Amino acid sequence: MNLDALRFPRYELPTNLEPLRSEVRAFLAAELKGYSPLVRSNSWDGIDPEFSRKLGAHGWLGMTLPTAYGGHGRTALERYVVVEEVLAAGAPVGFHWVADRQSGPMIARLGTEDQKRTILPAIARGEACFCIGMSEPNAGSDLASVRSRAVRTSDGWVLNGTKIWTSNAHRANYMIALFRTDSATDSKHGGLSQFLIDMGAAKGITPRPIRDLTGRSNFNEVSFVDAWLPSDAILGNEGDGWKQVTAELAFERSGPERYLSCFILLTQLVEMLKARASPAALAKLGAEIAWTVTLRNMSLSVAGMLNAGLDPSLQASVVKDLGCHFEQRLPGLAQELIALEPTLADSGLDFQQVLGNLVQLAPSFSLRGGTLEILRGIIARGLGVR
Amino acid sequence: MNEAQQILDDSVNRFFNAQIDRDFLTRIEASHWDDALWGNLVDQGLSQVLVSDAHGGMGGSWLDAFIVARACGKHAVPLPVPEQLLANWLQEQAGLTPRAGVAGLLVAPIPSAALSDNQVTLTAERVPWGRRADYFVGVTSTSELLVLDTTAARVIPDANLAREPRDRITFTAAPVLARARVALPSDVVRTLGALLRSAQIAGAAAACLELSVKYTSEREQFGRALAQFQAIQHQLAELAGAMASVDTIAATAAIVMDTRGIMAAGRNALFEIAAAKCRASEAVESITRISHQVHGAIGFTYEYDLQFLTRRLWSWRAEFGAHGEWGEHLGQIAIAEGGAELWHYLTA
Repeated sequence: MNLDALRFPRYELPTNLEPLRSEVRAFLAAELKGYSPLVRSNSWDGIDPEFSRKLGAHGWLGMTLPTAYGGHGRTALERYVVVEEVLAAGAPVGFHWVADRQSGPMIARLGTEDQKRTILPAIARGEACFCIGMSEPNAGSDLASVRSRAVRTSDGWVLNGTKIWTSNAHRANYMIALFRTDSATDSKHGGLSQFLIDMGAAKGITPRPIRDLTGRSNFNEVSFVDAWLPSDAILGNEGDGWKQVTAELAFERSGPERYLSCFILLTQLVEMLKARASPAALAKLGAEIAWTVTLRNMSLSVAGMLNAGLDPSLQASVVKDLGCHFEQRLPGLAQELIALEPTLADSGLDFQQVLGNLVQLAPSFSLRGGTLEILRGIIARGLGVR
Repeated sequence: MNEAQQILDDSVNRFFNAQIDRDFLTRIEASHWDDALWGNLVDQGLSQVLVSDAHGGMGGSWLDAFIVARACGKHAVPLPVPEQLLANWLQEQAGLTPRAGVAGLLVAPIPSAALSDNQVTLTAERVPWGRRADYFVGVTSTSELLVLDTTAARVIPDANLAREPRDRITFTAAPVLARARVALPSDVVRTLGALLRSAQIAGAAAACLELSVKYTSEREQFGRALAQFQAIQHQLAELAGAMASVDTIAATAAIVMDTRGIMAAGRNALFEIAAAKCRASEAVESITRISHQVHGAIGFTYEYDLQFLTRRLWSWRAEFGAHGEWGEHLGQIAIAEGGAELWHYLTA
């Protein structure tokens, strides 16, 4: 067993990024003035196209995309600083989140000239909402068993099947989806391809919102009935879908969102404990502060490894595993230390509302982007026991 | 870690690997000392990592000290290497030349009232390897470093769970051999001891993980290796995460100690050190629980290596402050900053 694969080398953000951080902070302080803690606790589930456009106007979306395609040619670390700040502030980033994090970089790497020219500038402006067509009713964690099919025709592709748990499909401009293009192959991971789908143009695609346990409808079941796509709608290479999707998931598993989804609750808890806190309560709060600084250093380390061109997929899985546990522990701890009922009603204190929202959202944290069970499998493989 | 530190890490681990095995650890639990190993590691310069070149040391950083202390934890080194590193560093901080011989480190600040006429009268609790000390080092409540003679020191032997000596030393008008002010907090020994113990916990956690992976890969039940079972794999993954979290924050604390120290105004290394010991001590629970669980009964025997590590982890968890104490410190910082400022503080 090689312990080196579990090391997280110290990575410090260059000090020349501090002016950027201050600039983003000042923007957010002004922009989010009227946003209640409850609204802020939605974090990357919060949808606000107007806010996304403003962020884009400041040059803080599509930061790493090439300038030739409307991007800003900045480093992944500069983007990291922006993402940290918007998440810690609880800014509503849901509209552009997927596009900025993974779809944009994928298109920049794999897309055709035409795809890059039409779509990347919109992403950088904060005007493109993307959704991810991976899971199906019978293919969740076992993603390679997707059955939705794309069949080649004389002038394009015809798609049939169903995608599910697709966040924002009902409002997205585009979907990047995984389809089976060759059912004859023996290899489970072979015969899959990714498609870049213009949701407005394609016919035969119907999102049906699914209510989640909070009563809201952010995710969908999306049916494809003889949906026709032009030939160039394929993203990357035919048959490379599995490889591409694995790389895409690495983007999903490595960012600071892996431990910052509940940060607003931590700040609310601090405010509540200001008035009165026993030493035991302070100790429990402090242990989570220790986790926060630990996870930030681990997350920065992953960012540094990515920046150095290394493949930290094992470390990223460790951060997501630990980060999920941290985020899912906080609502229970907050409730333990402050005996106020969770609520979404206006009559509740900010603390009660944030708790009411996050205690309900928390179960999803360890599901999206790969379940804990999948992540632990990846870690076990890294330990050489799988 | 730079290349030199990678080499230091490799060579220290290789050195301890060659010197320490189960029989050695068993023997030393009765004798509490080994002149040959101590002599070897002093010759190798391992106790001199933080001593300047001018005084014949390595002129190393706290990250170098972290590397050595982590290796001590990994190999359950039954000698006061981290304590000696700290004692030597303190003497240099006071402008003194580090003395030869074994330093007895006084953990708690020495009250002013204990010092009169250049003599100290004091009972010091749980001094690591106090019985072997050639001299004692402590810091007073007014941040003066004292070097004390052993002649007027009476030793009442005691030990931690790992049978590492933790002795009560009663000084009666013990002569002060040297004294000098240090620009450090009076509880500096506790703070930097916490940093070093965090490094040792990271090392012992890595050894627990290695043993657990090895054992479950070899041991077969129900016709296959234990490590083939998903229930075991997920426990190993949790253990790996706990180890990695401690390793990361302890190394971070050492690096911040090198850059910011513990005296700078505003946020300094005390924050990362508190976080490191809090996380490390808290992690001992899952590290020891999972390691023992996946080993089954064999891990509970004296004949198997795991107990040399886990008994140390349970002791080190408490030494220089357990997670509750350091957590309270961090909780107080959070309250003082307030929710709105918390993120600014964390990123400062």
